[in-house]
Amino acid sequence: MAERVERLTNLLALLLETPQPLSLVEIAGEMTGQYPESQTARRAAFERDKAALREIGVPIEQEIVPGGEYAGQTRYWIDRERYELRDLDLAEDEARALQVAMAATRPGSTSGQEALWKLGAGVLDHSAPVAAVLPDAPGLPVLREAVAGRTSVRFRYRDVERTVDPWGLLLRDGFWYVIGFDHGRSEQRTYRIDRIEDSVDAVAGSSFERPAGFDPRAAFPEDPKLIGATETVPVARVRIDTERARAAVRDLDEERVLWRGDDGAVEVEVPCANLPAFRSWLLGFAEHAEVIEPADVRAHVVAWLEAVAG
Amino acid sequence: MTVRPAEQRLRRLLVMLPWLMERGEVPVREVAERFDLSEQDVVGDLELAAMCGLPPFVDELIDVFIDEGMIVVGVPRLFTRPLRLNSVEAFELLAAARAAMELPGADPDGALARGLAKLARALGEDDTAGVKIELDKPELVDRLATAATAHEQLRIDYVGADRDEATTRRIVPRQVFTDRGEWYVSADDDRSGEVRTFRVDRITALDPTGARVAPSDAPLPAPGAWFDDESVRRAVLHLSPAAHWVVERFPVDTVEGPDAAGWSRVTLPVASEQWLVRTMLRLGPEAELVEPADLRGVVAAAAGRVLARYRRS
Repeated sequence: MAERVERLTNLLALLLETPQPLSLVEIAGEMTGQYPESQTARRAAFERDKAALREIGVPIEQEIVPGGEYAGQTRYWIDRERYELRDLDLAEDEARALQVAMAATRPGSTSGQEALWKLGAGVLDHSAPVAAVLPDAPGLPVLREAVAGRTSVRFRYRDVERTVDPWGLLLRDGFWYVIGFDHGRSEQRTYRIDRIEDSVDAVAGSSFERPAGFDPRAAFPEDPKLIGATETVPVARVRIDTERARAAVRDLDEERVLWRGDDGAVEVEVPCANLPAFRSWLLGFAEHAEVIEPADVRAHVVAWLEAVAG
Repeated sequence: MTVRPAEQRLRRLLVMLPWLMERGEVPVREVAERFDLSEQDVVGDLELAAMCGLPPFVDELIDVFIDEGMIVVGVPRLFTRPLRLNSVEAFELLAAARAAMELPGADPDGALARGLAKLARALGEDDTAGVKIELDKPELVDRLATAATAHEQLRIDYVGADRDEATTRRIVPRQVFTDRGEWYVSADDDRSGEVRTFRVDRITALDPTGARVAPSDAPLPAPGAWFDDESVRRAVLHLSPAAHWVVERFPVDTVEGPDAAGWSRVTLPVASEQWLVRTMLRLGPEAELVEPADLRGVVAAAAGRVLARYRRS
């Protein structure tokens, strides 16, 4: 009998080339001598091959013959359109740049290497002068597809089964989050992806509309822009020192800047209706920020710090 | 020839064949290097591919012969295009490219940006809101990245984790990286004569010495490996119900409780002392730092510094 890799390759070629779907009997007939004679052994070997091909990403289609002489029989084929990678039309320097990006952020990733080979790029080298460690979570690829395809997903989080319309993914402070609309709660929610229990599954046939202008950074719950929900909420005036001013303004948007000092320090306007969230944001700056007004919020922060200072 | 699983061999063939067909004639050695195989494996797999075929559909998969270390490919038949990207591969590529665009030195109009745009379009990403990556960087990071590329020697003042005073040392930066929200530089360090990893936000002063020094060949530590390291300091926090978000936001080793009053006890790795201090300020009276006890004073002092600011004005 032929080597397994040879049989797999032949099966793949046959299913790609066949002008009509083929049953297992027909497949075994074409691939003379490559599958066992006994019906049970043949089915087992074929199922193993089919699983192996699907495992490496080959989309094998199947249909059940609805009527006639072969009613109930399963037939298989591969749709070339779904099999082949569309040409990305990458220039050589672009493919090379993706290779460098992968080496800098996912060194040693076997899937990353496979992906690069498919795009015509070469072997990852492991020593990028500038690098980032991207955290991993098994749910990420399915979530990414669901966000792009506007498909709802199902997953377990803190012991609750949830159905969520994923609007976007965000990597912040070293963690991946999914932000979206939770059907059970009927509101926008944020979940940390590495805390999802078990798997993430796309809900077949579902679809959703993402709110216009959605930006995961702005939608993140601890984002100061979202502290307080309506137009009429109180705002605080906060002074931020030179060291942290640039990053803070980038997160807040220019329009919140009320004053700008010669040394780069700024005073910004930030909603403070949600006091715990506001306080948490403010104290993230430690001694580099100070709430100027309103007086009651200022007094609250002072009392809070006094409790810590002892 | 090494024994490799059939799936792996087929997978490799499916990327190797389209690449070969596009080129027509390639030295065996080049193919072996590019696809991370031994030369024997390349020859073995191509010979096998040449034997595959199913008349009348496909006479032979690939018309190939190997002569004097050269692979020569004839008329392309099957497998002229690679297999589509699976969901994991698609994510890896997109995340890697988006993250690399956030790294120091990324050119918004460069080859990576152009390649990323093409990739994103092919993956159905109709805008950039679907997957966002933030790598907030302190200002010194750009400077260190330039030095690492140019092999510049720098003089730095560095405040280590266990001391209050800065030491002055000369370093040749080799790799600048970020992990869990902090930035680090691995460098050849003249003080220890070894490769050392420094936290960028602990560098208090930085000046080029004017020298260019070839980097040593001492191996660099793998970014990311240190975090799971047992030697990384742990903290034990006592958290009120209102402070439970810490468990959601940060990696933790263990959570005990909650007790009758709703408080729980959490052990977690301390990414940086500064991070722990900031977190304790944010938690305020909702949390208690059980261990390390020596940092309680550091937290109180930090609160005192912020308070001083309020009392001044």
